[in-house]
This record gives sequence, C-alpha cells and structure tokens, in this order.
Amino acid sequence: MRLTIQRDHLVRSVQDVMKAVSSRTTIPILSGIKIVANDQGVTLTGSDSDISIESFIPVEEDEKIIAEVSQPGSIVLQARFFAEIVKKLPQDTVEIEVGNQFVTVIRSGKAEFSLNGLDAEEYPRLPQIKEEHVFKLPTDLLKTLIRQTVFAVSTSETRPILTGVNWKLENGELICIATDSHRLALRKAKVETDHHLSYNVVIPGKSLNELSKILDDSNESVEIVITENQVLFKTKHLLFFSRLLDGNYPDTSRLIPADSQTDVIVNSKEFFQAIDRASLLAREGRNNVVKLTTLQDGIIEISSISPEIGKVTEEIQSESITGEELKISFSAKYMMDALKALEGTEIKISFTGAMRPFILRPLHSDSMLQLILPVRTY
Amino acid sequence: MESIKANKRRVILHVDCNSFFASCEIARNPALKGQAVVVAGDPKERRGIVLAANYIAKQRFGIYTTMPLWEAKKKCPQLVVLQPNFDLYRKTSKEVFQFLSSFSSILEPASIDEGYLDITDCHEPGSPLEMAEQIQKGLLRSLGIPVSIGIAPNKFLAKMASEMKKPLGITVLRKRDVPAILWPLPVKAMHGVGDKTAKKLNQIGIFTIGDLAKAENLLLEQVLGVNGIRLKERANGMDERTVDPEAKEKWKSVGNSTTLSRNVMEERILLEVLRDLAQSVSERMKQKRVVSCTVQIMIRYSDFQTITRSKTWDDPFQEPEEIFQYASYLFKRHWNGNPVRLLGITALDVFDKKEAVKQLDLFHFEEEAKKEVLWNTVKRLQGKFGDGIIQPSSELLHKKRKR
Repeated sequence: MRLTIQRDHLVRSVQDVMKAVSSRTTIPILSGIKIVANDQGVTLTGSDSDISIESFIPVEEDEKIIAEVSQPGSIVLQARFFAEIVKKLPQDTVEIEVGNQFVTVIRSGKAEFSLNGLDAEEYPRLPQIKEEHVFKLPTDLLKTLIRQTVFAVSTSETRPILTGVNWKLENGELICIATDSHRLALRKAKVETDHHLSYNVVIPGKSLNELSKILDDSNESVEIVITENQVLFKTKHLLFFSRLLDGNYPDTSRLIPADSQTDVIVNSKEFFQAIDRASLLAREGRNNVVKLTTLQDGIIEISSISPEIGKVTEEIQSESITGEELKISFSAKYMMDALKALEGTEIKISFTGAMRPFILRPLHSDSMLQLILPVRTY
Repeated sequence: MESIKANKRRVILHVDCNSFFASCEIARNPALKGQAVVVAGDPKERRGIVLAANYIAKQRFGIYTTMPLWEAKKKCPQLVVLQPNFDLYRKTSKEVFQFLSSFSSILEPASIDEGYLDITDCHEPGSPLEMAEQIQKGLLRSLGIPVSIGIAPNKFLAKMASEMKKPLGITVLRKRDVPAILWPLPVKAMHGVGDKTAKKLNQIGIFTIGDLAKAENLLLEQVLGVNGIRLKERANGMDERTVDPEAKEKWKSVGNSTTLSRNVMEERILLEVLRDLAQSVSERMKQKRVVSCTVQIMIRYSDFQTITRSKTWDDPFQEPEEIFQYASYLFKRHWNGNPVRLLGITALDVFDKKEAVKQLDLFHFEEEAKKEVLWNTVKRLQGKFGDGIIQPSSELLHKKRKR
C-alpha cells in the first residue's frame, strides 16, 4: 500500500474512528485502526466490537484532489500512536507506505516515522447489513433526539437494558425513551420511510453519545438500518455500527400518569435558575434535594436545607397554578437535566401527588416529555 | 476558678465565627479588608443570592444573607462578590477547632462555624474572661477569623450570650441576669425556637422569653410536647446538657460485634449470628434516630487474622432486614471459608433520619404512594398537636425502655 493524502482530512477521519477504539480491549488487534486504500479512496475503521466506525476519504471531492493511491493495499496501525503522529506532522500532505513485515513509513515534510503494523487480514469483519429497510432522519434532528433522551439512561449495570435508549418505530413515528428508573425522558419524531416499518429496539446509551459527537450540525439526512442485533447509521462518508442490547425494554407507557392533581406553568429559564440557586447548598450536603411548595396567588416556593451549611428559600411567580396544594421534594439534578433537555420558554409541570411521578412538557408541544420521581423525606 | 469547680458550677464558652464564609475569603485575600464583601451563587449570574456578607456589607450597606445579588449590588455598587469555596471553609473550620482544642479538650463543634468549650477545669492563669480574650485575639491574629464569644454556666446561656454582641464581642451571661436580659426578648430570639414554634407559642399568648419562663407546664406540653417543658427550663436559664466532644463522633457509626463461643465453619450458623447482629444494630440506630448508607462487616478468623469489608448503597437503611441483607451479601463475597472466631456489623457514616431521603423508583413507587395518605395524616396531626402526638411504635418503645 502506498498513498499520499491531505493531512486535515486524515486527522478528521482518524479522530472519528478513534471514538470506537478502546485502550482496554480483549482483542489486541482492535487497539489499532484499519486502513484500506483503493482507487476510490481510503477507508479507516475503528472498533471495540460494540461500536464500529468506518470513515471514507474519497480520492477526489468537489474537484479537489484529496488522496492519491499509487498502490492499493491495507494495514492496521496502533491507534494511539497513529492518531498522535498525524496530528503533529509538519506539512499539509502525508505519505504512507507499507513495506516488508507490515512496517509502515509515515512521511510529512522532513519528518519520517516508521511504525510496526499488523496484517489487516487479521482484523475482524464488520457486521454485514442488508440495506433493505432504511429510514431517514435529518442530522440535526437525530442529534436533538439523542441529546433529549440519552442523559436519562442508567449508569448502573444492575438492569443492563436500562443503560440503553428504547427506539420504537411505528406508523412513521419514532419514539425514543430512556429511563434509569428515577426519571424518564421521551421524545417523538416523524421519520421519512417508504415502508410500513416497525421496530422496537434498545441502543446502548454510550453508542448514541459517541454517534452524536461525530455527527456535524447539518440537516443532511442520516440513513438508519436496524437488524436483529445491530443498528447502522450512515452518512455520506461515515458508517456507524452499534450492537443492540438484548432483552425486552419495560413497558413504560402505563407508568406515565395520564391525569394530574396540580398543574403548574412556569418560565423554564427562571425556574431553572431558582432550582440552581436552591441546589447551591444542597449539592454540598448529603443529598441534592430541593423542596417545592405551592403558595397563594400563583407563587411557588423553592427551598433547601443542609444542616451543616445553611438553608435557602426563594419565591418565584408562576404563570399559573391549578388544582390542589402541593409540597414535593425532588433531586435538583434531575430537575435541571430535564429542564435543559426541554425546548420552549414555558413549561407545564403536572403533579399527581407528593409520592408519584410528575411530568414536564413544553406548553405548546407534545412531542417531548420528561418524567421525574420525587424523593420521600422522613 | 477553684471555687467554681468546688461548686460544681461549669464555665462554658460558645465561640461563634462572625460572617464565617466571608471572613474565610478575607483571611485568604487580605486586600479585601475594608471592603464590602459577599459570597454569593455564581457572581456572573445576575440573579444569584447572597450566602454570606461581611460586617461592612451588613452594617454600612444593609446587605443581608439571602438578599438577591442584584439588590445588594444596587445598595453597594463597589461590592466584592465571590463564589463559594466550601473546601476553603471546611479547612478553615478545622483550623479554628484545632486552635480551640489547645485551650480545653472538652470541645464540641456544633456546626462548621461554631462550637462549645468547657473550661471549668482549666488551670490556666486568668479568669474566663481573659481566656475568652486570648481566644478571640488568637483566632483573629493567626487565622484572620473574627469570633464572638459567650461565657455562661451552661450551653444555652453561652449560645444566647455569643449572639448579643457581634462582631468580636465577648459577653458574660450569668443565671441571675436572665430575668433582666433574656426575659424582655421575643420568644423567637431564643435558640431552639424557630418560626413554627414561635407561631404556636404566640397562639397561646406567649410572646416574650419571660412569658415562656412563667408559662403553665400543662399548656406547654399540650402544644409542644416534651420540647415545651425543655424550652421553659431554658427560658429560666437552666440547661443540663454537657459539652460532649464526641457528640459528632458518636453519630458517625453504630456497630456491634460478637465473639463466638467456638470457631464456626457452618455458613448457616454464621448467617444466624449476622441476623442477630443486624437486629441489635438496627435497634440502636432507631434509638439514635439515625440512618446510614454504608454497611461494614468484620470477620475474625480462628488465627486472629481480621478483615473488614464495606459497601455503600444508594438509599439509606435502618431496618434489621435491610442490614442483614447487606451484611450477608458482603459476608458471602468475602468469607474465605475458614473457621470464624468473631463477627461484627457496623453502619458507617450514620446521619440524622431527618436528613435522609429516599429516591422513589418508577417501577416501585406505588408502594410508597399507598402510604402517602398515612404520612399526610401523621404530618397534619404533628402540625396541630406537636411532634410528640404520634410516632412510629418502634421509636415509642425505645423511648419507654430508655426512661
């Protein structure tokens, strides 16, 4: 294999595929990046066997030459060193040449590295996915869907299925749900699909986080293919494969209360700032819990006590309070996470009692919902 | 000094740091001295609130704790606003108590910025007043922390005395001064009387500390339970509580261990022993009204090799069954199968049950929700008749036994 390539394109691709490479892998060759060059372009692959990322650099784009492949071939190079090397090379072009025993020379300007490579034939094959049933989402919408749900996945392995986000596709509508059993995030979106596709899968939260990092903020479509145990996200020059989680996602629809006892409408930003202030002391104490009390004339009191440090009370004016009086305590962190995820200036919070889950929604949209379980104080 | 000791009269100091957070900041950066300084939530954020203010900010500009920051800035445009640095405050607090402990080993930290010191048996030269002056000057010179000190025969009066002159005050409050000095004050000024209690007392015609000192026991007990009697004693200048250096330590862990009558290898028997230990640890936790999130077990083998293993869970526990579950989980993971001589269970890092919260779970909240009506009724009863009117039977039983 022998090629010359624009350094900035190479750096970008290496950074993308590095997202899938883990330093702690049980399969030694997966600590490397696979490079395949042919007359179409150069393909880089990184994988930790859960996530695999393939990035393609075409030889030519927009009538500009990006790469010249003088001898097709392939090699696997140690990801950690290769990534650092290409980042620090002095010139705009990089020359890569594989010699005997997979020893690879990397040249740029007057700098020359030689790295011991591995046989690309040893690198595991990526999952073969038949691209029959594809649905599409604009990149920016996909990133929003991820941002609004993935923070709520569980970080504990006690119920592994909850470390993923549940994606349900039905009648042209995608519903994404994440819960760590203390709070739940839900987001719906219409999707472009030709078929009457229907899926119910669970994608690891970690995969979605990594995917979100390497997608840029365009409105170009991402093609999505779901198989029995893999999901593939496909953009112009990128393939992102992730393993799906095994098992059934709990049915959460019956757990989301349909009616409410107390409804509060607040300005999202003001409310967020009040919670943030109240938690200033609480997060230094034993737990980060704040208390919300409804008062007369649409006033809400937010308070928090940390015996060793002090206490804080603040009254904020809501847009409206309807229904029964309420005192409820909850995690300030969960509340702030939920408010950050919601769009819209006005938020409606529906409570069904101090010991029951409550729901936050933008006032004029039902495409998204955040649910939080309160805490019981003794 | 000697005569005081003979009379069994105690001399207690209450040392209270003035504007502690702000003082710590000024001590660290003396350039701030002479300026109005507040510690507030994110100063870049226009809507923060004041967490602490130094005396210049308080007295010259009328700034108080919890005032919105924008208002404070309006009152004092050149106000120095700092973000809280709790690590600094904890470190300074430790240094303050270290300094105090050089005067008397009977020192009880009451919170991050105040503590009680029993100097009855100090044989240092000088009167209590001189010692208080030494403490005040010493803390100001070595740490830059101003304090107010109350000198009195008991903790309650010492606390009331330190409140009287701030900053840098030293106040002596004798029992015979109580009618003249404390009685004219409103009950709310009394340590231990909060908004709620004051409201209840006002409702039965008690407005000043003097009213409380002369109130009918029966009436007080009806409104506030045993706490009412206790408050009346305090209003008369009586307080039997001793300065307890371990008051905090004592809270930190609750444990029990038992040496077995022989070396035991049967898992079934060892688990039975753990079950008994869990029961007694739970009982003691209930007595102290504390909960914990961390269980530690101790295993001593027949060769006297001893191991301790602990684990922290998310939700606080107190019940014997929970403690047993956690202890046996640890035991099964860490017992190497050799004969055992001693077993122990300790609940580490315990804390007041009132501080405990339980994060409800989406899949199990119904169990708690069902009890909501019950909790609400209990709270309403307590609101109306005082905390003592209704309690879990487990806590009631322990009280009886203790008496």
